[in-house]
Amino acid sequence: MTTSAILPARGLADRLTALFWRRPKVLLALLLTPPLLWLGVVYLGSLAALLLQSFYSIDEFSGVVKEEFTLKTYGELFRPSNFDILVRTVTMAALVTLACAALAFPIAYFAARYAKGHWKAAFYLGVMLPLWSSYLVKVYAWKLILAKEGILGWAAEQTHTGWIISGLLSIPGLEGSSLSTSPIGTFMVFVYIWLPYMILPMQAALERVPNSMLEASADLGATRGQTFRTVVLPLALPGIIAGSIFTFSLTLGDYIIPQIIGNSANFIGMAVYQLQGTAGNIPLAAAFAVVPILIMLIYLAIARRMGAFDAL
Amino acid sequence: MTTAVEFLNVFRHFGPASAPVRAVDGVDLTIAEGSFFAMLGPSGSGKTTCLRLISGFEKPTGGEIRIFGEDVSNTPPHLRNVNTVFQDYALFPHMNVRDNVAYGLMVKGMGRAQRYARAEEMLALVHLDSHGDRKPGQLSGGQRQRVALARALVNEPRVLLLDEPLGALDLKLREAMQDELKALQKRLGLTFVFVTHDQHEALSMADSLAVFNEGKIAQIGTPQEIYDQPATRFVADFVGSSNVLPPALTKALGGPAEWASLRPEATRLAATGPVSGTVTALRYLGAGTRVVITLGETEVAALVPAGQPVPAEGETTSIAFDQQALHLMGAT
Amino acid sequence: MLSDRAPLSLRLAATGGLLFLHLPILLIFLYAFTTEERSFTFPPPGLTTHWFTTAWYDRPDIWPPLYLSLKVAAIATSVALILGTLVAAAMTRAAFFGREQISLLILLPIALPGVITGMALRSAFGMMDIPFSTWTIILGHATFCIVIVYNNAVARMRRLSGGIMEASADLGANAFQTFRHVLLPNMGSALLAGGMLAFALSFDEVIVTIFTAGSGTGAKTLPIWMLDELIRPRQRPVTNVVAIVVFAATFFPILAAYYLTRGGSETAGMGK
Repeated sequence: MTTSAILPARGLADRLTALFWRRPKVLLALLLTPPLLWLGVVYLGSLAALLLQSFYSIDEFSGVVKEEFTLKTYGELFRPSNFDILVRTVTMAALVTLACAALAFPIAYFAARYAKGHWKAAFYLGVMLPLWSSYLVKVYAWKLILAKEGILGWAAEQTHTGWIISGLLSIPGLEGSSLSTSPIGTFMVFVYIWLPYMILPMQAALERVPNSMLEASADLGATRGQTFRTVVLPLALPGIIAGSIFTFSLTLGDYIIPQIIGNSANFIGMAVYQLQGTAGNIPLAAAFAVVPILIMLIYLAIARRMGAFDAL
Repeated sequence: MTTAVEFLNVFRHFGPASAPVRAVDGVDLTIAEGSFFAMLGPSGSGKTTCLRLISGFEKPTGGEIRIFGEDVSNTPPHLRNVNTVFQDYALFPHMNVRDNVAYGLMVKGMGRAQRYARAEEMLALVHLDSHGDRKPGQLSGGQRQRVALARALVNEPRVLLLDEPLGALDLKLREAMQDELKALQKRLGLTFVFVTHDQHEALSMADSLAVFNEGKIAQIGTPQEIYDQPATRFVADFVGSSNVLPPALTKALGGPAEWASLRPEATRLAATGPVSGTVTALRYLGAGTRVVITLGETEVAALVPAGQPVPAEGETTSIAFDQQALHLMGAT
Repeated sequence: MLSDRAPLSLRLAATGGLLFLHLPILLIFLYAFTTEERSFTFPPPGLTTHWFTTAWYDRPDIWPPLYLSLKVAAIATSVALILGTLVAAAMTRAAFFGREQISLLILLPIALPGVITGMALRSAFGMMDIPFSTWTIILGHATFCIVIVYNNAVARMRRLSGGIMEASADLGANAFQTFRHVLLPNMGSALLAGGMLAFALSFDEVIVTIFTAGSGTGAKTLPIWMLDELIRPRQRPVTNVVAIVVFAATFFPILAAYYLTRGGSETAGMGK
């Protein structure tokens, strides 16, 4: 006896499978509904709430939030004391990004071009572990390093180079009793914490530069420097931009580092934190929080045009 | 004779309705039970899509597919009693060979002892009796291919689908597997539907074959028919190493003003003739020499058997043949 | 020909860069043993293991934050595992309308600075009069953990040859059998890696947490406890002891995740 070419469905599971096959959209909807409910409702809803709040204002006498549409709160951002915060934060983010790019390049280039086998794995782990390990612990480590009596001061004393640090600390705008209370310290810690975020995309981009292309360039008589400028750098640029998205965005929003290291000059993140907390001015806090979103949107639009997303 | 698989005006279009990609474009097809049926064509010709329409991984956008007379429009792949040997074998990497082969029986609820016994039988059938404990990653390409075959056959499918199963093997192994597959098919009396882009493979193995071009069937028939009487220039070109003569040349050589195909082994060299040309290429093939003569704008190959004189490159020569060797394919 | 050895200057710069990334963390370990409790004098005037026993016996304020962090990380990771896997499964299917937008939506919670996610959640809780609790912390953490799981799952699914899912169906398995016998065994290590990274991320998170935790003493996660100690220090070496614990709680899952997914283009960690 031969069996039929069509087997009978054996139960609910078979029937459901048949339904998924006939109507793939049913399965897709089943898969997507829970996560979309979460991200769409909880997350996007919150972002909408944030945006909404930023268009409210606070009554100056009672301190109560007035739930009426106004641009007054955004206007407050342009008050000198608030505008300073924006300028300071963006400047810091730009400097940190540049420093990260400069420091990251040799590591990424070495890992992509020369590291092989075990060394490659070691380099990869060597970058990934600091990236993922505890943020607060890393910040704390730098408090230990930069403290007046800490290891950096000790090393400077041993090598009689303490004058460099005190020289730096006497530059107007960068003053502090030690590096840990100077904007220089804030800058150093930002660079340290976000550096791995620059190395990884840079390395990914550099790995896509084939060695044969470098050899072709050398073949055509280019010096090492010329090869680097005309071949490696342009090809690595998308990776650098991808990395800069992280370093820039993360610096814009951070409020822990400047709170612990530095001269307690305000940054956007700190302003948001203080305004929503002790000051109770949620509309202004929301307006401050919208600023990094806008800056990042512009930044992303430029990056996209330069092809940075292929490197993500 | 029972019909195993039947395509009734089947379409499979991808993409938007305004500018569809016509992967399968109006295919009618009948595959007899117990036959070794090959689907031959260049890549993108629709042959693999047709195979996936039978297994159920694609759904027709038009027409009807019947397997042993039953319309399978509403039957998902897992309820179709057909099995596939995939091009890349698609063995489960986390299971050993025995569990791979027994998989179909396990999901049907067969007990462990029973299904392992059946799996061992199947492994013996493909000469892999002692390999049950290995992981697919430890096998050679040819061995993986046999495991894929055993895994498909253990379910006793009504039709076995093979998607370029020999594509990844080297030439020697390929030829051995061709013989083995053919012998297995004869022994089991099972319907095999075999997709390939290799005309020699299709011609040597199939009982009948369909030549695909741009989503349509260009010709369907026995290997002999397809080889000797190609229906279109495409078939002549793709299947054989036949010479394709344009109407003007056919006429000049004594035939009617139609496209014609002429096999190199039926083509002789002649000192004089109605049309002559220059010898532009020579290829020594062992059993003879393939001589390419350029007649006007058409290249014509002739096979000169070993022992006969071979002209030098650049010499002028003409060709001759028996008129019945000329296969006519119409004026357009 | 290019030489296969890097120029000395490049080797020095690369090695120096890696040391720069790692040496600071070692200091945390050193200072956990210092005898000096009020400042960060280097070199430490003396070494002792006294602070470990102090942290264990005399500082009851450490334990509730530790439990809370473990609880939050465990629940947030579980939620993220389910939701992240679901999205990954949907995204590996054929193209569908809105696919690009969904991948952007998943990425958004870590692409935007944490302060924005935190402030946004805080505004929403405020507007809807939702009181701060453990659950509001979990809500925030799960949101940014989804992408971690998703990245790991989607990379593995892409690497799995689609053929084995079809082969399973071809051999007669229904969708649930295919999930159990083929998909899950092949996804297991990637999901475990994703879960570990998500756990590490949640356990260590402070920026979003501060906005979603409120100010009650029962709302103090271990990182918030640490932050308080950094701002208002007492018994500094005890903070180091806790820092070592936090470091270990993130370090080992990351290492494990790396070894679980090594060998593919999907190696864990690229996604943070």
